[in-house]
Amino acid sequence: MENLPWGIRIGILCIWLFVIPTVVGGCLWDGGRKGQGRHRRAFTLWVSGQMLLWAGFQLICVPCVLLEKSFLYVVYCYGGLVEILAFWGIVRLCRGGIFANLGRKVRAVPLRDGQENLPKNDKSVWREMLPAVIVGTLLVFQLAQAAGLAYADGDDAYYVAVSSITNNAETMYEKLPYTGGTTEVDVRHGLAPFPIWIAFLARMTGLKAVGVAHTAMPLMLIPMTYVIFYLLAQELFPDKRRKQLMFMIMAELLVVFGDYSFYTVEHFMIARSRQGKAALGSVILPMLLWLLFVLFQRVKEGKKCGVAYWGLVVAVMISGCLCSTLGAFLLCLFMGIAGLCAAVTYRKWRLLPPMALSCLPCICYAVLYLLA
Amino acid sequence: MGIEHAIVLFREYMGTGLVVIWFLVCLIYLFLKEERKEIRILLVYVPMILLILFFNPLFAGIVAAHMGDEIYYRILWLLPMTVVIGYTCVMVAGRLGGRKRILFAVSAVIMTIVSGKYIYTNAYFGRAQNLYHVPDSVVHICDAIEIPGREVMAVFPLEMVQYVRQYSPVVCMPYGREILVEAWNEWAVQNRLCDVMEAETVEAGELGRLAREEGCIYIVLPENKVVQGDLQEAGYEYFDRMDGYVIYRDKFFKELRN
Repeated sequence: MENLPWGIRIGILCIWLFVIPTVVGGCLWDGGRKGQGRHRRAFTLWVSGQMLLWAGFQLICVPCVLLEKSFLYVVYCYGGLVEILAFWGIVRLCRGGIFANLGRKVRAVPLRDGQENLPKNDKSVWREMLPAVIVGTLLVFQLAQAAGLAYADGDDAYYVAVSSITNNAETMYEKLPYTGGTTEVDVRHGLAPFPIWIAFLARMTGLKAVGVAHTAMPLMLIPMTYVIFYLLAQELFPDKRRKQLMFMIMAELLVVFGDYSFYTVEHFMIARSRQGKAALGSVILPMLLWLLFVLFQRVKEGKKCGVAYWGLVVAVMISGCLCSTLGAFLLCLFMGIAGLCAAVTYRKWRLLPPMALSCLPCICYAVLYLLA
Repeated sequence: MGIEHAIVLFREYMGTGLVVIWFLVCLIYLFLKEERKEIRILLVYVPMILLILFFNPLFAGIVAAHMGDEIYYRILWLLPMTVVIGYTCVMVAGRLGGRKRILFAVSAVIMTIVSGKYIYTNAYFGRAQNLYHVPDSVVHICDAIEIPGREVMAVFPLEMVQYVRQYSPVVCMPYGREILVEAWNEWAVQNRLCDVMEAETVEAGELGRLAREEGCIYIVLPENKVVQGDLQEAGYEYFDRMDGYVIYRDKFFKELRN
């Protein structure tokens, strides 16, 4: 891989970060909901697929770390899993008929509330396009800054060094990241092997792990955060595209001006994107919030959520453990409080068992952490 | 950990406090006005319970005992502040009409700008010198001293230690980033080599002796560092000069290789 031209290696990285997750998302594809636009389908597939991939990586990598297996072992096992998931995803997408509708025009959601898209003159079209242009501009600005600015964070000396060492030495958490030399397996950090996932991407692309961590990660995780915010906006303002876009503008401004302390999620999201805890705060927690919105809406409508939905919830919970060992606790806490509030509000106690069951993987990892 | 520590952490998390105040105002607005149950649950009840839990000394004590009190603030990440503020602003704007709506939208944007802090003005941000986001000097020096097929021990000035092993996992160091962390300073004081490296005037003999004890093949010093004595006599010869640093190599290493 190291001998391939730069352009090809970056292309392979894009496939790993954007194409493969979208295809893998097909494993959880339930045919979509009525009125869903194509972009929303693609967004849902992308984020769902990434959650599945992260969960799969966590399930393979942690036992390998604990058993002191070689990184190559993870590369082969996880590579095999990705192939199976991608194949299954394509099969499900074909059966679900997603490709059949590709050529057809999907009814657009009206920009102005309660108003269908009528023929308009150029001025009014531009006025209605303006919020989307602002959202896009703010996003491009943040991505340009993420690539062009370097943030000096001391924690990178641990996390990014672990990625580099793993890609180079084939061992996982068995070398001292700050200085070098061998040590016993760092089990506590090994329970949240996000840096090993970065090392995997580096191995698959032939790029240096430090480059993948500092440049590629923000370019993937920042858009993913906003995609999840957009999915949230669609739940908050169904069929009101203008309001969805106004919400997105506010969200982007709050992120860009969110550096009021070193501890905020927004600070981690923009400045320390390559660290698992940033992914936890800016991707996993909003993702869980979105999934709970979907669940509670279904409960309100008297409908049930299928296996695909609960599969995605479990994948998100496990992904949280991949990002940070604290993720297990935070996700269970959020799920527990939200579940109890919903059970009391809707007087539907049968909501609680599946929600509690989805916390089981997190509880297992938390117990391992406390035992380590 | 008691409630006092939780309050201190909350204050530190708030910064100027304006955004958090704005969030609390939005929370109260939604509590009074929001009708959709799923929104009330996730954007009102859950944040309120989380805030109560955060300041609960029993809860704080248990969590801090198992997770460490310095990361207790991360419970505040569960507060969906961006979503609550964004949603409330759009809802309020939606209830207004005509010029009032535009005025409110402009005010909300100004409030966001004034109450927050523009992230890219953070002092730790700097123009990236390369795609790896580590200083060019680190890239060039590591490339120069790497030896194919083996690890190499080198001692670097403190300003470089946090980057070296991010870029090159085969370059080892006698001390790394742990020496910069305040909480571990006790250990740092015990590292004589670091003290000698960072002294205003470097004692060549002492530096050579300590570096050899640590197995360092290379010593990297800033060009403007005053060196008292001759490093050549201490067993380290001039190797290269780049990006404002001078690299010295163990004389005996070359002989061993030959």
